[in-house]
Amino acid sequence: MASHATAQTRLSFASLTPQNVGTVRKLNTVLFPVRYGERYYQDILQAEVEPFCQLVYYNDIPVGNICCRFEGRDLYLMTMGILAPYRSRQIGSQTIERIIESASSHTKPKIGRIYLHVQVSNEDAKRFYEQHGFKEVGIHENYYKKITPRDAWILERRLQNADK
Amino acid sequence: MASQQATLAQKDRKAFQDLLSCYELKQLTKGRKVADQILKKYPDHGETMCMKGLILVHLGQRDEGIKLIREGMRKDLTSHICWHVWALVQKGEHKYEEALKSYMQALRFDKDNFNIVRETSVLQTQTRAYESLVESRLHMLRLRPSFRAHWVGLAVAYQLSGNLVEAKRVLEHFQSLLREGPVNDAEYSEFLLFHVHVLEDLGHLQDALAFLDKKSKDRYIVDRTATHTFRARILSKLKNTNKESPQAAEWSTRAESEWRALLDLNPECSDYYQAVLANQGIDLGDLDEDSCTKALALLSEFAVHFPKAYAPRQLALTVAQGDRFRGLAKPYIEVALSKGIPSLFSNLKKLYANPLKCQVIEEIVEDIRASFLVDPASPSEPAKYLWTLYFLAQHYSFLGRHRRALEILNLAVEHTPTLPELYMTKAKVLKRAGDPYGAVRSMDEARKLDGQDRFINTKSGKYRLRAGMVDEAEEILGLFTRKGAATPGADLTEMQALHYLVEVGDAYRRIGKLNLALKKYYAVQKVFEAFREDQYDFHQYSIRKTILLPYFDMLKWEDEVQSHPVYVHAVVSATRIWIRLHDDPSLGKSLQPSAETTDASRKALSKAKKAAHKGNDPSQESQDAANKKVSNQSEDKGLDAPIPKDEDPDGVKMVLADDALERAAKFLATLKESGKRSIDACLANFDVAMRRKKYLQAARALTHAHAVDAQHPQLHLRVVQFGNTGESLWLISVTTKLSVAVSSVSDSIANPVKSVLHETLISLKPEEISLDVFTSQYLQSHSTSPSAILACAQACKFLGNPTEDVESLLFTALKDDIGLSVEDGLRILSYLQCVKSTRAEEFRIACDNKFELSTVFKSSEEQAALRHQCLLEEKEDCDDVETL
Repeated sequence: MASHATAQTRLSFASLTPQNVGTVRKLNTVLFPVRYGERYYQDILQAEVEPFCQLVYYNDIPVGNICCRFEGRDLYLMTMGILAPYRSRQIGSQTIERIIESASSHTKPKIGRIYLHVQVSNEDAKRFYEQHGFKEVGIHENYYKKITPRDAWILERRLQNADK
Repeated sequence: MASQQATLAQKDRKAFQDLLSCYELKQLTKGRKVADQILKKYPDHGETMCMKGLILVHLGQRDEGIKLIREGMRKDLTSHICWHVWALVQKGEHKYEEALKSYMQALRFDKDNFNIVRETSVLQTQTRAYESLVESRLHMLRLRPSFRAHWVGLAVAYQLSGNLVEAKRVLEHFQSLLREGPVNDAEYSEFLLFHVHVLEDLGHLQDALAFLDKKSKDRYIVDRTATHTFRARILSKLKNTNKESPQAAEWSTRAESEWRALLDLNPECSDYYQAVLANQGIDLGDLDEDSCTKALALLSEFAVHFPKAYAPRQLALTVAQGDRFRGLAKPYIEVALSKGIPSLFSNLKKLYANPLKCQVIEEIVEDIRASFLVDPASPSEPAKYLWTLYFLAQHYSFLGRHRRALEILNLAVEHTPTLPELYMTKAKVLKRAGDPYGAVRSMDEARKLDGQDRFINTKSGKYRLRAGMVDEAEEILGLFTRKGAATPGADLTEMQALHYLVEVGDAYRRIGKLNLALKKYYAVQKVFEAFREDQYDFHQYSIRKTILLPYFDMLKWEDEVQSHPVYVHAVVSATRIWIRLHDDPSLGKSLQPSAETTDASRKALSKAKKAAHKGNDPSQESQDAANKKVSNQSEDKGLDAPIPKDEDPDGVKMVLADDALERAAKFLATLKESGKRSIDACLANFDVAMRRKKYLQAARALTHAHAVDAQHPQLHLRVVQFGNTGESLWLISVTTKLSVAVSSVSDSIANPVKSVLHETLISLKPEEISLDVFTSQYLQSHSTSPSAILACAQACKFLGNPTEDVESLLFTALKDDIGLSVEDGLRILSYLQCVKSTRAEEFRIACDNKFELSTVFKSSEEQAALRHQCLLEEKEDCDDVETL
């Protein structure tokens, strides 16, 4: 099929609305080993997180999402994932870079850092975030209640424009 | 204005003139005062009474106004004013024929009243009285010859009445009056195109062409697309009708270049390609090896010339056969799947009529799918893989291979669980396999992925209706209807959503709420009546604005509109219900709300009621009341009769009607000519006519049905019924088996009628064979058709064969070599239940086993449970981790 690899790829993003949140639910059920509560789905629809909660489309097919929330001046990355068949084609990279860019230029509040948890068994994920400027700053023990290993790395990326 | 009964003095005549101008200027309250003053002095002055009545109607006091007008007319039947007023009121009630008569009366007493002549001409067009329209138009032109519109109007009237020669003469005469027409004028350009059209219809093709060439060259005709279209069409006709002419070659060349010019304007129009091919002597309907090669060569040239156009490629796919087809289909499909074109299957579906092409397409797409399986670890094009699976699922579903389709869809969902199309297709597969409840669930899954997609929403509503969930359908459709509407159903009715009305009517019919079903079918009729009304304003407007060719198209469309499948379906379905109500008089009573239900389950039903109560729900009523208060008494309410409140919104009174058959016949009659072209309408017509003992009409219906589909199973049944009735009625004199009761009916049929009935019967059934033999012969020649088995069983039953024989005949439909579909099974089951067969349950269970995926053959309790379950949310087990 290599000869066809030239087929154009279009990546696009969409903000979350009550109308497409069903797609986020569907993605989360296959992407993550944990089930999220109603609170999560209410939070990601809040207006202030709109630039940081996005659906990702590959040639108009919904293939992934990224969802963050504010914790004071921190942006906490709750979930990010791309469906398995669509990985290794820079979709995740473009998505995280887009969020970093939005966060860097964000005012009210100015965002000091983005941080997230990664299950300690998930080396691939850790490497992915490190490639995008994240650093491990600690381990949260017993972070997960229903899956093992229960510990999680804490990864963060400090943002340039944040005032000291 | 002379009136016999009460003549006004000079001064009062002035007052009456004031009254008229008050009305013209719509100074209604002032007009009423003036009228009152006159009436004080002359209480019997008919014209004043009529004018006052008219003003009252405008002011919203309709009944009072009409009463006064009637009185006024009685006083003065020779006044054109009185007749004019009456015509206006009738027009407001859409009684066009009556209004027309009143206008004609008015003209008797004031023959050159231009306004009345003009109104008359509009009504004559609306009622298609084209001969008298010509008279009116001539009259108008004589009264005001200086207006272009009146010349146009006369020419149009001639054209409509079929007198093209006169139409041409009028057009020419008008142009000779103009010293010089306006250049670059859109209206004049339309006028000239109409002239070309008339010449073309007259068959004066060379004149039409010369005229078109000259007028477009001189920039009188400015519509470029129309110029090309007309020229291309006329040249092609010229060439085809004068093959021997020395100019034929020139015409052919010019025609080709005109069609090509049109293709440059729109390369997706397949008619243009076909015209180019036809111009080169290639008829796509009649290809041989040689012309097929030529056609494909030409189409591939076009495909290169218009690299983005689909039309030439699609046309090539319909033309090509065998290996050539494979060679063309492969790249077409490859490209479409790579691009991810969701509609690929619907594009190709029409090719499936040819089983070889269907096979080739399957092989091509399965090959593409296999190429992915070679190296599934690194799917280089995940989207293409997904669209390939999607296509295959649709493909297998179309071929009735439901299990295979579902397997593929499961793979696709595993690959990409977020594509709504996959769930929609799954819903369709389940629907086809006879599981409407699973289909509802799957469609709802699609809807949850994309709540703002109106298409999915509509499908979701439709699937719920198909599963008998009317309230739930209404709820979901309500997400997209106007928020202020009384109910979603009321809004959809107002929006003339025919697909909704038909589906909801069918849903009510299936769940036995025949009253509500009837209401919906009649709502469809109202929509079509509105379509007819809608043309009214265009009769004047189109001529004034010289929008002629689209206007002719519109009139043609209006004349044919009742042949629309939705309308035919509504009429036939309503007829079937009327027949059931007639055959079983207790049925109507059983549909009445019982005392208990009105009280106890009122609340539970209120939603469903609300849906049916469109137009007279409380909120709207209070709104109307509020409107009345706010509007002061001087407001003009116009002449249109207000829509009367529906006194029977649920149709519970309607189903008690004792003239069910007459109502059915009346509804059927609205189909006019188009009723003869629909087999279902013919059969319905027959069934009603037989019950009404209108045997000639029944015979005609059979003849029409026979012309549409001579081998239709249900037609066979009707012929048997007709023949059987004939034996006991009009053939009785031959067999001389007289019984007193029968003979009286028989005698009521005149002998010439009897012979017509007899002629009809022998044209449908060989005279020498009995109805039993006729039926067994029919069954023999259609032995593998489930519909034929059913029809023959019905015929046997009708002819008095033992029930056991009828039942065992029906059970043969379950044999493996008979392609029984879910629908066939349901029809047979429903018939068995209808005749209270003891084996109905056995048949149901057999079908349930035969159609493994189906749920429609489950017991009603099981189906109720499935209906209940299919919308329940799957309970999600969520981790209440605060940090998540």
